[in-house]
Amino acid sequence: MKKLTREDLDKKAQAQKERSQDWIKVGLSTCGIAAGAQEVFNVLAEEVKKRNIPVEVKKCGCLGMCYAEPLVEVHIEGLPAVIYGRVNKDAAIKILEKHVCGKMLVNDYIFDMEEIKR
Amino acid sequence: MYTKTILLKDTNYGTEDKTKEFYTLLLNILREDNLHEQVQVVRAADVGVYNQGFVVKILPDNIFYANLKNEDVKRIVDETVKNGRIVDALLLKKEVKQLRIVLRNCGEIDPESIDEYMEAGGYQALKKSLFELGPEKVIEEMKKSGLRGRGGAGYPTWMKWNFTRGVKSKEKFVICNADEGDPGAYMDRSVLESDPHSVIEGLVIAAFVVGASKGYFYIRAEYPLAVERIQKAIAQAYEYGLLGKEILGSQFSLDLDIRLGAGAFVCGEETALIASIEGKRGTPRPRPPYPSVRGLWDKPTVINNVETLANVPYVIAKGGEYFARVGTQTSKGTKVFAVTGKVKNSGLVEVPMGITLREIVYDIGGGTFSGKELKAVQTGGPSGGVIPAEFLDTPVDYENLQKLGSIMGSGGMIVMDTDDCMVDIAKFYLKFCVEESCGKCPPCRIGGFQLLGILNKISEGQGTLEDLNTLKRISFAMQKASLCGLGQTASNPVISTLRYFEDEYKEHILNKKCAAKKCTHLLNFKILQDKCKRCGVCMKNCASLAISGSKEEGYTIDPAKCTKCERCFEVCKFKAVVKE
Repeated sequence: MKKLTREDLDKKAQAQKERSQDWIKVGLSTCGIAAGAQEVFNVLAEEVKKRNIPVEVKKCGCLGMCYAEPLVEVHIEGLPAVIYGRVNKDAAIKILEKHVCGKMLVNDYIFDMEEIKR
Repeated sequence: MYTKTILLKDTNYGTEDKTKEFYTLLLNILREDNLHEQVQVVRAADVGVYNQGFVVKILPDNIFYANLKNEDVKRIVDETVKNGRIVDALLLKKEVKQLRIVLRNCGEIDPESIDEYMEAGGYQALKKSLFELGPEKVIEEMKKSGLRGRGGAGYPTWMKWNFTRGVKSKEKFVICNADEGDPGAYMDRSVLESDPHSVIEGLVIAAFVVGASKGYFYIRAEYPLAVERIQKAIAQAYEYGLLGKEILGSQFSLDLDIRLGAGAFVCGEETALIASIEGKRGTPRPRPPYPSVRGLWDKPTVINNVETLANVPYVIAKGGEYFARVGTQTSKGTKVFAVTGKVKNSGLVEVPMGITLREIVYDIGGGTFSGKELKAVQTGGPSGGVIPAEFLDTPVDYENLQKLGSIMGSGGMIVMDTDDCMVDIAKFYLKFCVEESCGKCPPCRIGGFQLLGILNKISEGQGTLEDLNTLKRISFAMQKASLCGLGQTASNPVISTLRYFEDEYKEHILNKKCAAKKCTHLLNFKILQDKCKRCGVCMKNCASLAISGSKEEGYTIDPAKCTKCERCFEVCKFKAVVKE
């Protein structure tokens, strides 16, 4: 890896626009992992690969809503961005099938918190 | 494709959740109007408001209606969904209380990717410090920002840096104190795990300002994931030339390393931490000289807390004045709290200084999960104190909390309801400090032990009124004579519970009663015959053979044999065993 210069730093800051629009983020810090987020992440990553769904599964840190872990944030073009909480394996599959593929939000798991929106 | 989304939720708790009925009602009305293909209705698990009845939120317009009756639904569909008009009478105006500065990237970026951090504007503050500002101007910005140490004591960060910068020495050090030890507090862990690069960037800026060439992360070994992510982040930063020789092509070089703490609470104290990094036993030494003059290996050293350092890139990038726009006169910026205990939404919150405890506990935390009355809020961990419910409207900042006999501390906030006994709480924290006392100075070592003995006596019903005076006297002596912060503050939980809940202590001493039913020695266990299903599980589980009887006759507890271990109370599925 080449060492960065000042100018490279600015180029890096501009890079984000090229990323894909549809993504799923799983909170993988200690609070999430303790609640089973690693399993949820694995299931999502596997199924996306298996079913060839055009969505990026990413990991992120702690949103602060530790009471609702595992948290899965889903951003699909044309739908409101939502955070699902207390997601287990089954709910993860449901999110993939209904939300990502079917373009419909999943009942009973949405934690809609104004507080943590940036 | 849907054009609108309606989230709904029954936000009353304590009563049966009627979200599903409400869902059917709304769906039927939409069907009647043939709107069900344009509008999707979704049951939410939580909408961030509590005890506001039926709540709907219409997206993407972001309209929030609360306290809805069945007949309001039709009106909302007619007015808002069809015609886009807002029904003012039903509107819920909700202020967002949190402000995310330290947690700005937490949950947003992949903590293991330096590229994502840079896309979020990372390392721009370092660039600005190196090439635009220079050390003096960075200190000036820090001074303008009014940022104070987030580890607990609240010492202005710019002053710390300025002292160290002013000392002439060939070698200087910077240390990030990530030895977070307060029970119930985990802000630093989350920041390290979720946004490690912001802490590294803060530390590099600090090193540049004071002229240090070597830095350490002191992280407790109990945080394996935090250690792993910081390790990865440091390696990535080296690869990119953001650490090591001639950072970003400048004259400035810095090496970073990790030192693991073995989990001793006292090692969060700066002089003990330094001793631990040096490979010595982690015990404090008297100050002055302060570490900024004589620290690690007797060289000038800056020690900053994780949260303080995570603030630094933001301060530099946005400017000190911009940072200082939030907060109170003496405390600027935000503070991250780990809200735990008997609160509905436990987790991390970041709020501007000056917000009230009530807003944190009720508006963000959702109140107590038991629905019981809030009794007190404990802040500052074992060095802090309890703040009773009547002071919930106090604005939170360093000075105000101190006036109430507590401290800001690192940011633990434990919510207690009427089921918590204050003698028991004092005992819990004191026991922690007694176990964690390094034993170097007698006031802490002996004083703590004696205090705990008296508290045990009181909770067992053997206390006298004279004990209360003794508690106060020993506490005072510990505050005055202990060597370091641990001993000086170890008695704070005792003093503050005595200050606000002396009656509760007296109740234990005079009436031998514990209203919260926590002090088991003062309780009697009884089996309610009308609730007892004669299953015999309590008898099987009683280790001291205090329960006798049979399936035909029922069971009784012999108080003389009962050791009050609570086992029968825990195993009874029919709530037939009661404590009185």
